[in-house]
Amino acid sequence: MATKIALAGNPNCGKTTLFNELTGSAQYVGNWPGVTVEKKDGRLKGHKEVVIQDLPGIYSLSPYTLEEVVARSYIVTEKPDAILNILDGTNIERNLYLTTQLLELGLPVVIAVNMMDLVQRNGDSIDLEKLGKALGCRVVQMSALKGQGSKEAAEAALAAAKEGSHTEPPHVFTGSVEHAIAHIEESVQSLVPEQFLRWYAIKLFERDEKVLAELDLDPELAAHIEQHIADCEAEMEDDAESIITNQRYAYIQTVVQQAVRRQPRKDNMSLSDRIDRVVTNRILALPIFAVIIFGIYSVAMGGYSFSLGTKGTDWANDVLFGEMVPGLLDKILCTADGVPRVAEWLYGLIQDGIVAGVGAVLGFGPHILVLCFFLSSLADLGYMARIAFVMDRIFRRFGLSGKSFIPLLVATGCGVPGILATRTIEQDRDRKLTIMTTGFIPCGAKLPIIGLFAGAVFGGSPWVAASAFFVGIGAVVVSGILLKKTPAFAGEPAPFVMELPAYHTPAWGNVLRTTWDRGWSFIRRAGTVILVSSIVLWFLQGYGFVDGVFQAVEDNNHSLLAALGNGLAWVFYPLGWAGEMAWKATVATFTGLIAKEEVVNTFGVLYQYAGEADLMEDSSPIWAAVAADFGVMRAYSFMIFNLLCAPCFAAMGAIKREMNSPRWTAFAIGYMCLFAYAVSLIVYQLGGLVTGEAAFGPWTAVAVALLAGLLWGLFRPAPRPKAQTGRMARPARETG
Amino acid sequence: MMPLSMAKPGETVRIRRITGKDEQRRHLAEMGFVLEAEVTVISQTAGNLILKVKESRIALDKAMANRILF
Repeated sequence: MATKIALAGNPNCGKTTLFNELTGSAQYVGNWPGVTVEKKDGRLKGHKEVVIQDLPGIYSLSPYTLEEVVARSYIVTEKPDAILNILDGTNIERNLYLTTQLLELGLPVVIAVNMMDLVQRNGDSIDLEKLGKALGCRVVQMSALKGQGSKEAAEAALAAAKEGSHTEPPHVFTGSVEHAIAHIEESVQSLVPEQFLRWYAIKLFERDEKVLAELDLDPELAAHIEQHIADCEAEMEDDAESIITNQRYAYIQTVVQQAVRRQPRKDNMSLSDRIDRVVTNRILALPIFAVIIFGIYSVAMGGYSFSLGTKGTDWANDVLFGEMVPGLLDKILCTADGVPRVAEWLYGLIQDGIVAGVGAVLGFGPHILVLCFFLSSLADLGYMARIAFVMDRIFRRFGLSGKSFIPLLVATGCGVPGILATRTIEQDRDRKLTIMTTGFIPCGAKLPIIGLFAGAVFGGSPWVAASAFFVGIGAVVVSGILLKKTPAFAGEPAPFVMELPAYHTPAWGNVLRTTWDRGWSFIRRAGTVILVSSIVLWFLQGYGFVDGVFQAVEDNNHSLLAALGNGLAWVFYPLGWAGEMAWKATVATFTGLIAKEEVVNTFGVLYQYAGEADLMEDSSPIWAAVAADFGVMRAYSFMIFNLLCAPCFAAMGAIKREMNSPRWTAFAIGYMCLFAYAVSLIVYQLGGLVTGEAAFGPWTAVAVALLAGLLWGLFRPAPRPKAQTGRMARPARETG
Repeated sequence: MMPLSMAKPGETVRIRRITGKDEQRRHLAEMGFVLEAEVTVISQTAGNLILKVKESRIALDKAMANRILF
């Protein structure tokens, strides 16, 4: 049987960095609490029989949020062979709080004090031997970020697991508490395994709901235990839980006094504190954030001389997939005078189907790489947790907490981990609301859509690119307000409590790996899903019934795909999708459900074949064709609809898993589609009226009605919740 | 006693009382907010605080900060 070693510790103490180091995995690490929300296992390098288990960070064995439940139930119910408890050495007191609880579990524990390099840089020292002696377990030191000491830590844990023994847990509590615990131990001795007796007794003393439910004591015994707790509470003049908490900290303080020597700080304010004063400043915080986001999008997607991403994408579109690849293929596929050596249809499939379709998508690779590089640098720096704090003030106004902002930022990479990241949100209804709105954020796969329209129709305007981000945030805000006024979501969000990590220079290895992972998954999809659908799309748009005979068609407006698209295009007519672009846009929207890159892929295949390419001399031929077919408002309406409507199948799957209810899943996806439809309709009909693209008509009235409805939903007074629960609950006083 | 949201940036105070619902009070305790702990206010925006307690930096909103008295 495999030996199981669990990595446990406070959030953001370096568990996943260590896990990656020990197992050679590439799990995502970031500098904010709550990066890991699911347990992950891997084999220890060099010891194939050892399984290392990475767990979400926890502050204690009493879970507060959903991802903490994951960690607690693993440690408590699956009982690993050893626990490797990682401590942040710079904050040892708080970290030892969890340690005292882990030691009570009766499992072999090894402590690894992480960030020892920082401890030493502060001029402090930790006496590992004294610490180990006081706590009764082995203590090693390491620096996970620098890769120092991690192997030794794993080996110590492995040795402890093999020995299987554990020393007596330290006596953390004082006389009368220990007395009560001893009585409880005596009462439940026959009900729980001996090894875990102390842990169960302490949990019963704390009146832990989970343990009470698990043991299901008979009423007489429960009353007997309750008497002991009540006696102790009366003597200590405090409630049982507080007694335990306070005594733990008191005990930790004595241990720390023995083992840790602290250099007096010259200045009470560290560099992180100084930075925080600026970036969380009440006036400057939001402008700073807006400037950072605008700056990142400018470099990634703007039209400036420093816009690296745009330069790369231009090169990929114009040179690589505009000349080089087609040129090279021409050399292979054609004779000297330009006549294809292979069948005409095969030549068409390769050049117009695959190169145009896959190339159209791949061309946006540089955009994605640059954007992902900056966003993951920002996350690694430690800014993410700050922005959650800053946004809390604003999000709270419409009933969400700042914690909802982190999933949204994660979703800028990919919606699936974004939806998973909602597990750090304490309240179920807020979590559901955040899951529903996470899909509004432009993820990496939606970038090509933004890039295509910003580049083709809006002349590379960084405003359009950045506006896509702010439209996403706006959609979250508006939905938050709308839904919070419905009974299912009404209620105050949980108060905001979040640890802010110290800023550190991004670990470039991590940043580059994250960037590469994102880029690689993009390339891989282009080579698989996108490639296959390019081929399918090419056939569907190249063949059709003309005069009742199935044949290759000259004009793809007569193709099978056009027939399909036209059959459904009426749905989108109110959004301004009319004329020849209607069926193309409709098809692109539906293929976008497979993966959002498909939208651009579809345009690549459809417009390449249209033959308009030769007429345009400048820039990417597809871009010019798109620009010719889409007016400004039409393009914007299409872009908004595709950014906001149902996400790709992978994200819908994640929604289904996290909602864990078919009704909620259907509601979430239905809401997204309807919301996207309404917003696009309003934008096109009213915006088009200004630009002259849309005529005044019945749809204008519908747009005005929708807008009015939206505004009513936003500004109507919040209905009074029927049964108010929570801390502030008090009987509603009716005023006559 | 005064709520923590009244403390000024740069000020270091000692916690005298924590009120509120059990679950949140426990969570505060896990993060280091216990009686007699010293807390330094790093920044303050409209009642929302960034605090330093036991060498860690913790952000609290106004509602939570009002439950901690010094």
